[in-house]
Amino acid sequence: MTFDWSVVWQHRGILAAATGTTFLLTIATMAIAVPCAVVVAALRLYAAAPVRAAATGYVELFRNLPLILVVYWAFYVVPILTGVGLPPLATGLAALALNVTAYNAETFRAGINSIRRGQSEAALALGMSRVQVLRRIVLPQALRRILPVLASTWVSLFKDTSLVSVIAVGELAYASMQIRAQTFRVLEMLTAMAVIYWLLGYPQAKLVDWIQRRYAVTE
Amino acid sequence: MTGTMPPRAMSAAPTILRYRGVIKRFGDLQVLNGISLDVHAGEVVCLIGPSGSGKSTLLRCTNGLETLDGGAIEFEGTLLPRDERGLRAMRARMGMVFQSFELFPHLTAIENVAEGPRTVLGMRPADAGRRAGALLAKVGLADKAASFPAALSGGQQQRVAIARALAMEPDVMLFDEPTSALDPETIGEVLGVMKALADEGMTMVVVTHEMAFARRVADWVAVFDAGRIIEQGPPEQIFDAPTVPRTRDFLSHLGWEG
Repeated sequence: MTFDWSVVWQHRGILAAATGTTFLLTIATMAIAVPCAVVVAALRLYAAAPVRAAATGYVELFRNLPLILVVYWAFYVVPILTGVGLPPLATGLAALALNVTAYNAETFRAGINSIRRGQSEAALALGMSRVQVLRRIVLPQALRRILPVLASTWVSLFKDTSLVSVIAVGELAYASMQIRAQTFRVLEMLTAMAVIYWLLGYPQAKLVDWIQRRYAVTE
Repeated sequence: MTGTMPPRAMSAAPTILRYRGVIKRFGDLQVLNGISLDVHAGEVVCLIGPSGSGKSTLLRCTNGLETLDGGAIEFEGTLLPRDERGLRAMRARMGMVFQSFELFPHLTAIENVAEGPRTVLGMRPADAGRRAGALLAKVGLADKAASFPAALSGGQQQRVAIARALAMEPDVMLFDEPTSALDPETIGEVLGVMKALADEGMTMVVVTHEMAFARRVADWVAVFDAGRIIEQGPPEQIFDAPTVPRTRDFLSHLGWEG
């Protein structure tokens, strides 16, 4: 059996661009999913019953659907229902954001709940509004506690972006598969893909470990 | 009431807080059973009595952390507001100190004290910082301004918490068992700060088990039992000549010898 690793080097431009897309998807998804998750979590905790139920419904729906199904659904079904078709990248981003927002909302909700009631009461006793209590007192403390969880969600997300390859978003997985299909260099391209994901993912995972040590809660 | 009862020293001063038949229930449990009590400007009123007798609940009703199920509370002549905005304005004029300190752990001592003026009063950070620094100096913790709560002893944390409440320049200070969570050796420093505050003329409502403090500092003492005030009067009466047997029982259980 002969291997031809030069195929990887020949396509370095495409692979580099695709890696950039993978990072872009990860960063953009988190940039959307973190603030949206705060809002969803706050709605679940403080809003009137119907709004709270809607927020809960959203979280439970997207937390319990396979991400790949959401990706397909956003790509094929949403245009039929709404008549609006977004480009693949935007569709993939939307699907990832819907999914990760639901997860992050649960993380934020748990974090907010973990801050004992006396903290809110002390802030209320000063005359703060509910929103001020959340923004100034509860969220900063909750964020410190959930940072390790958000960081591991980030690492998972970095790998899960590969799922949007099924709707032809030109990220790392899609580009590798395309090159594989054109060159028939299956083993080389799959190995290259694994090496790239691992080399990029490992430092991020190590960073998460460091964050978990650094932000261990002391009270 | 007998003619020998000592008069209420501050009764001529305006009434800051007036409780009228306050009732509070938690489910089936009636925690406050019709509490009536006046707090005059400049007075230190101590609420004493066994645990679970409703003292802390009354304090928490005072600034709206708990809602009433009956009766009324007047603060400076007006009924406690029920709307969010009104409650906030009223809370800003009442300071509260908690048994468990409840300092904000993500903020330094000086940031804790400056938080109210900054967020609630909209004070500029520099001005709020100056006010906070002065108050930390007042409670003897100028050198701990940059420390986080986790690095402070219990007594130091509670003094910062007192400074945090004072930073709003309140008309009344509510103390909810401020020394109950402290080591014996640090209780004195907190009581010292409270005594100094009383001497300055601050109006204070203090839930406490520190009978010596109540005897020495209070102008008026209310004895709670099972959601009622069973006896109230000046400390000389309560501690030296209680008229109600239950008060005597309670004090003797605490080892109070008069």
